[in-house]
Amino acid sequence: MAEYFGLFVKYIPLLLLGLKNTIIIAIGGVALGTLLGIVLCLMSLSKGAVLRRAANVYITIIRGIPLMILALFLYFGIIKNSMPVLAAAILILGLNCSAFIAEIFRGGIQAVDPGQMEAARSLGMSYFQAMRKIILPQAFKIMIPSLMNQFIAALKDTSILSAISVTELTMSAKTIIARNYKAFEIYSFALIIYVVLITALTFVSKRIEQKLSYDRR
Amino acid sequence: MGKIVEVTHLKKNFGDLEVLKDISFDVADGEVICLIGPSGSGKSTTLRCLNRLEDKQGGTIRILGEEIDAVKNLNAFRQNIGMVFQHFNLFPHLTVLENMTVAPVMLKTASKEEAVKRAEMYLERVGLLEKKNVYPVTLSGGQKQRVAIARALCMQPKIMLFDEPTSALDPEMVGEVLDVMKQLAKEGMTMIVVTHEMGFARDVADRILFMDDGYIVEEAPPEELFQHPKTERCRNFLESVL
Repeated sequence: MAEYFGLFVKYIPLLLLGLKNTIIIAIGGVALGTLLGIVLCLMSLSKGAVLRRAANVYITIIRGIPLMILALFLYFGIIKNSMPVLAAAILILGLNCSAFIAEIFRGGIQAVDPGQMEAARSLGMSYFQAMRKIILPQAFKIMIPSLMNQFIAALKDTSILSAISVTELTMSAKTIIARNYKAFEIYSFALIIYVVLITALTFVSKRIEQKLSYDRR
Repeated sequence: MGKIVEVTHLKKNFGDLEVLKDISFDVADGEVICLIGPSGSGKSTTLRCLNRLEDKQGGTIRILGEEIDAVKNLNAFRQNIGMVFQHFNLFPHLTVLENMTVAPVMLKTASKEEAVKRAEMYLERVGLLEKKNVYPVTLSGGQKQRVAIARALCMQPKIMLFDEPTSALDPEMVGEVLDVMKQLAKEGMTMIVVTHEMGFARDVADRILFMDDGYIVEEAPPEELFQHPKTERCRNFLESVL
């Protein structure tokens, strides 16, 4: 037991360094995925058949590719050394998230009463003004639980990106184990960190939901 | 008095379903028109065509002298036409005051201060100034509809469209909304009202249009229409609702 805690104290700084990258990749990936997702969602809700088709094809393809193979293909097949591995990891995760986030946004927007858009348009707002000020704030509230789930999934998926040797938490653990062969101990530290982080996030997400509940008396 | 709204041979289909077959009518400046008729007769659709919430398939609609399909800036054009909906459609994530100022401020028809001042003035007129900082969910149906009317007025429209404004209200709240509308009519607002409130139509309307099956079947001042309906269809309808 003393040895277990000794290892913990010794390696936790290295693991936390990996955790830093995990968080950077997750936040960057979800941010990029959200931007792309909004564009995709607006495309799939638009009146133009070409835009709609293009968005649906993209979403179908991305959703059908496992993250591992997407990462290997993009990084070793296309990106190679043309960008830092951390940036590549964010890009890959962002592309992966965008398809799911697009669907979450579409669901959220379609769940807002169509009368809201009509009221906004009849006051003279343009489609995009109405979207930004009236529809999206309401849709966002509906989407928070799903978006939070997506963020948590993305955070866990960063471990898959150790396949392209970005030094996130899982990769850090692997590197340490390659040196000291303490697989049980080091992986147990890593998984504890994941669980603590994700539990904390779930808690925060619940708080945000409560804060935004304007429709409670 | 000039004609503010001129509708000629308006047609509207939803797919294969012909909803409006041949609708023609005028509205003069300051006039109050009530559209009555059985459900499914096309009253609401007619109203929604006027501000292009629905696109028409035939005929012309001229508002303030302009054919609405030829309007270049639809959003600016819509600022002339206030609309009040059956289900209020207040913005639930904004307070009462924000509901009323969001459009004027965003569209720069007023500065923030002017918009707030104007909103407070209209809220006072509908008797809800003390509710300005609450969210719509805390209001009763009648209060919501009064806020919705005040919100539309904040854009200082030249015409107000009412799409069954009291149909979703509990009976005891109908009166407070109709009172606000009566007041507005008295002040000279041009109004087109789709309604099932025959008492309101009789007291306030200058003319009543009775619609059935996509046509305007009768058009007359209220006394005449209620006392001497010319057509069988109108007579049957009035008997069933009065």
